[in-house]
Amino acid sequence: MFCEKAIELIRELHRMSDGQLPAFNEDVLRQVLQEMEALYEQNQTDVNEAKAGRAELIPSIKLRHCCLLRNQRCLTAYLYDRLLRIRALRWEYGSVLPANVRFHMCAEEVQWISQYKKSLASFMRSLGGGEGLDITQDMKPPKSLYIEVRCLKDHGEFEIDDGTVILLKKNSQHFLPRWKCEQLIRQGVLEHVMS
Amino acid sequence: MDSSEVEFLAEKETVKIIPNFSLDRIYLIGGDLGPFNPGLPVDVPVWLALNLKQRQKCRIVPPAWMDVEKLEEMRELERKEDTFTPVPSPYYMELTKLLLNYASDNIPKADEIRTLVKDIWDTRIAKLRLSADSFISQLEAHAKLDNLTLMEINTIRAFLLDSLNCMYKLRSNLQPGSSKGQFTDY
Amino acid sequence: MDTQSYLPVQPGVGMGENFLSLDDIVLSHERLPIRTECRFPRLGFLEKSSDSQDIPEGTKMELPLWLSKGLYEKKRRVLSVELPKVYREGWRTVFNADPNVVDLHKMGPYYYGLGSQMLHFDSPENPEIAQTLLQTFIGRFRRNMDSSQNAYNEDTSALVERLDCLEKALFTSGQSGLNSFQSWEKGQASQLTASSLVLNYRKRKITDLQP
Repeated sequence: MFCEKAIELIRELHRMSDGQLPAFNEDVLRQVLQEMEALYEQNQTDVNEAKAGRAELIPSIKLRHCCLLRNQRCLTAYLYDRLLRIRALRWEYGSVLPANVRFHMCAEEVQWISQYKKSLASFMRSLGGGEGLDITQDMKPPKSLYIEVRCLKDHGEFEIDDGTVILLKKNSQHFLPRWKCEQLIRQGVLEHVMS
Repeated sequence: MDSSEVEFLAEKETVKIIPNFSLDRIYLIGGDLGPFNPGLPVDVPVWLALNLKQRQKCRIVPPAWMDVEKLEEMRELERKEDTFTPVPSPYYMELTKLLLNYASDNIPKADEIRTLVKDIWDTRIAKLRLSADSFISQLEAHAKLDNLTLMEINTIRAFLLDSLNCMYKLRSNLQPGSSKGQFTDY
Repeated sequence: MDTQSYLPVQPGVGMGENFLSLDDIVLSHERLPIRTECRFPRLGFLEKSSDSQDIPEGTKMELPLWLSKGLYEKKRRVLSVELPKVYREGWRTVFNADPNVVDLHKMGPYYYGLGSQMLHFDSPENPEIAQTLLQTFIGRFRRNMDSSQNAYNEDTSALVERLDCLEKALFTSGQSGLNSFQSWEKGQASQLTASSLVLNYRKRKITDLQP
């Protein structure tokens, strides 16, 4: 049956319902486009014959046309859902995406995320009367300005507001400004220790 | 809504404290606070009360309803009535948890209070589920949420909204043609 | 509770589908038994059992829902769609007797979704099908709600294994409400946590490495 390749793309994303980004499946995408081309050409031929009087071809033309639209829907949904996932990565990882994640994007997606980052950044800069406000911080209402954190892995040197540099060594524990840590906690480098 | 956000809203409620320091009135966006005089009770928001308490700057006076006898009465009433009875505070659950966690030494019979409030909560949640079920099974179109608190609504919100969406879908099936557009889905 | 920043496109709420919803696309790929009511020239290769050039009129075959919907016309019969067994009278009687005993996962798993879509095809049984779908949902609602709101910190696979996809999604949203409240009660709600997406990535990387 037609459109089996297109559903493969959809299933690939559907299986990873937590929002992970699988590698861009250019191969299958191209196969779908090829199928669409073939469907279109076959339909052109049949349409010309139907116009010349062979009306019995119409059901087949309609069937192929449905398949074209179906393929189009699947491809659009595939690309769109990937953008939703890529946008989410900006919020989960912060502005620098790890290489293994970036690896899974196609060139257009890399371009899109950098545009998204730019417009998010300029929006955040414009907030608060020009002062700027990082809206990716404080996803939960903060209880205090400083929090206790433990390092889950070696992360190297880390500079805090007042210019002090501290060494984030595995299993070391620190008392740090909350806004400085939030991103690192989300990335799993630090762990928030509750008293 | 996340539960921590509901708790954040609860922290804006006021509570009476007895400070052990003195400080002039302070002026904040959310309203003026103080003045603070040692031994003189003063109303402050819960977030400040907890902060001062943690630094041993004050004693917290529990709200009048946070009392074993009063809560026992409420529990009995809640169990007797089929509908939701009025609660002493729109944030009774959150305030109980916050005050008992940070200031249990200022609250007489803290453990009993904790159990009573939990009982009231459980009774109310059971009612909430019962009414959600009859709401669905009797195909009601709207419901009154009188006397329910934000935290109570919040625990069932996502589930109830999704259920109502399902109901809408299945009920609109009963009226053929109403939403049957052209076959544009492939 | 972890706030999730990936929010997929939700399936359509009414009878229509949501164009970009992955759920709806997968649902509309379900296969239906059909009978062709006219000849489809030059498409014989789609029907594996014959080696003729065309699909002849009167062929019984299976087509995905999306294609059946696309080809179906009330005025000009191109194909007729057969009602899958679970929606026929025999099963409807079972569902109406006690909706809680049926395994909707095995029967579906898109029992409600596919059933609603079947109404697109004209059939005198449509009102009864719609009625059974609704009553089944209502009849199973209480049990579904209770199990999703009570099962805390336990293996839920046994609870969801007999649920239809739609019920499973409901179960999950009930669980998220419960878990979020429980973690608040234990004082963990204000704790900052690692993104579950990041953690899952890491898990996958490890399994990738293992041969």
